Amino acid sequence: MTAGPPPLPATPPPRTMSHAFFRSIFRVLPLLLVLSPVNSSSCTMGNKTTEIRVKYENILSHDIEELVNMSAEYRDRCCKNKRHEHNKVFFCNDTQEIGSLQSMACNMLRFFNKQKINKEFRRKAALVSCGTLQVLQCKCERHKKEKVCTQVNAPNNEDTETVEQPKKKCNQEFCELKENISSLRSCWNKFEKIISRDGINRNG
Amino acid sequence: MAVPGASLVPILLLGLGTCLAASPSPKGVECILFNEEYMTCTWGSGQTLTANYSLYYWYENKLPVVECQQYLWDRSVRIGCRFEQSEIIQFQAFYVRVNASCNGQTLEIPSNRMELQNLVKPEAPVNLTIHNMSGNQLQLTWSSPYPKEQCLEHVVKYKSNKDTSWTNQEVKGVIFSFPSVDYEKYYTFYVRSKINNYCGNTQLWSEWSVPVFWGNNSTSKGSSGPERPRSPRRPRSVLTVSPRLVAGVAEEQLQWFWIHTVLIPIASCLLLLVLVVLLVRMERVWVIIMPRIPNPSKNFDDLFITHNGDFQVRWLPWLTTPLSWWQLPTPLTPLCPSRNGSESLKMLWRVSSPTTVKASAT
Repeated sequence: MTAGPPPLPATPPPRTMSHAFFRSIFRVLPLLLVLSPVNSSSCTMGNKTTEIRVKYENILSHDIEELVNMSAEYRDRCCKNKRHEHNKVFFCNDTQEIGSLQSMACNMLRFFNKQKINKEFRRKAALVSCGTLQVLQCKCERHKKEKVCTQVNAPNNEDTETVEQPKKKCNQEFCELKENISSLRSCWNKFEKIISRDGINRNG
Repeated sequence: MAVPGASLVPILLLGLGTCLAASPSPKGVECILFNEEYMTCTWGSGQTLTANYSLYYWYENKLPVVECQQYLWDRSVRIGCRFEQSEIIQFQAFYVRVNASCNGQTLEIPSNRMELQNLVKPEAPVNLTIHNMSGNQLQLTWSSPYPKEQCLEHVVKYKSNKDTSWTNQEVKGVIFSFPSVDYEKYYTFYVRSKINNYCGNTQLWSEWSVPVFWGNNSTSKGSSGPERPRSPRRPRSVLTVSPRLVAGVAEEQLQWFWIHTVLIPIASCLLLLVLVVLLVRMERVWVIIMPRIPNPSKNFDDLFITHNGDFQVRWLPWLTTPLSWWQLPTPLTPLCPSRNGSESLKMLWRVSSPTTVKASAT
C-alpha cells in the first residue's frame, strides 16, 4: 500500500500573493512613468481664456503677422515640392489647442541655432515661440525654452556670422520652419475663434 | 496616379481634342465659405465649359476621397459643387480635384492646398441704426449674422449729398461715431465686414449692407438712385422723426439770418438818413449842434457903413439919446497908452457918465 501525494492547499500562501502583487505593480509603474509626459500638460493658463485672448490680440498677433510676412518674403521654390517629405507635421487637435500650440512653439525653438537660415528670420521665429509659451505659461520637455528665450530677449549686440543659403541645394530646414510658422498661426486662429464669444444677433 | 501640373493642361487639351478645348478658367477651382453655413467651389461657367466635370475632395487627416454630393449646374454643365455645413472642416488642409472627361478621356485638374477658415465670406451687416448724440454727434450701430462677432472687422462708407467722394473708415466693434454733423446735409451710410487677423487670414469682404440715411433731404432729389433702395428693413422710426426736427431748426435759423443780415442794417441806414435830413433842414437843431460865432456887427451898422468906423469924431455926436454905460457895445477896457491916450481916457470917462455926452476934440 502506497501513500498518495499530499493534497495541495486550497489557497496559495500569502507570501506568493504579495510577490505577484508587487511584480504587477512594478511592471505598470514604469509604463505610467513613460506615458505621463504625453498625457499631462505643462501649461498653467488653461482656464484663463480672457487673459490669453487679451495678450494674443494686443501683443502676440502682431509679432505673428510680422513673422508670416517675413516668411512670405523669403520664398524658396523647393518648399512647394518638398512639403510633405521629412517634415514633422503638427496638427492643431480639437479640444487640445493649447497642447498643440505648446508642441509647435517648442519645436520652433530648435531652429534658432540653424545657421543655414537667415539670422533675423530665425530670431523672429524664436521670439514668437517664446511669446506663445509665455502667454500660455508652458514649458518645453527638454527645458530648451529658458536658454533660447534668454538669448532671444537679450540685446542683439553680438554680430554672429550669417551664412547665406546655398543656391543650388534646397534648404530643408527653412521649409520646415515655414511649415511650422503656418501651422502655429492657424492653431492660434482656431484657438481665438473658440474662445471668442458668440455675437448677440446671429440671425439679424 | 500622377496628376499633371497646371502648365501641362494646354498641351493635354490639344491632345484630347476640341471637346475639352473649353477648359476651366485659368484661376482654377475657387472655393468660398459663405458665413460658415455652406461652401461653393466653382471652376467656370456654362458659356465656356462643355465637358463632363466631377469633383472629389478630401482633408489631410481624413481619408477617403469623397465625391461631391450636390453639383451646381449651368446650361446642363457642371460648374461647381455645394458643400453643406456638415461637410466643412476648418483648420485642416483641404484638397480638391476636378476630373474633366470627354469621349472616354479624362483630365485631372488639381487644386492648391486650402484652409477653409481663410475662405470665409461673412454676410452683410444688418439693422443699421443711427442715434443722435449730444454735441452734433451721430452714432451708427449694426449687427452681423456671423456668429463670432469678435472675429470680425468692419468698414463704414459714408458721404453727404454735397460730397463728391466716399469716405471709408475702419472699425473694430459694431459702433461708429460721427463727430460733427451738418444739419443742412443729407448723409448716406454703408457697412461691410471681414474676418479679422485674429481668427483667420482672408481678404474676402462681405457685400455692402442696406444703406441708412440721415439729414435734410429737401435739396437732395436725384442724388443717387441705386443708393436708396426701398427696402423694408429701412429704420423708419429714425427717418420720420429727424426731418421734422431738422426742418424746424432750419426755419428758425433762416429767420434769424434775415433779421441779422438784412433788416437791421437797412433800418440803421434809414435812421441815419433821417437824422442827417433833420440836421440839415432844421436850423434850430443845427444851431444847437453847431453854435454860431457871436457877431455884433449888426449893432454897429451905422458906424461901419455910414461913418467908416470913425468912432470919436463922427459916430458919438451922432447919437442923440443918452446911453448908459451898460448900453455901450464895447466893454470898458483900458486902451493902450498913446500920444493921445490920456485924452482918449478922458473921453471915455465922459462917455460913461450919465450926463449928456459931449465930444471934445482930441
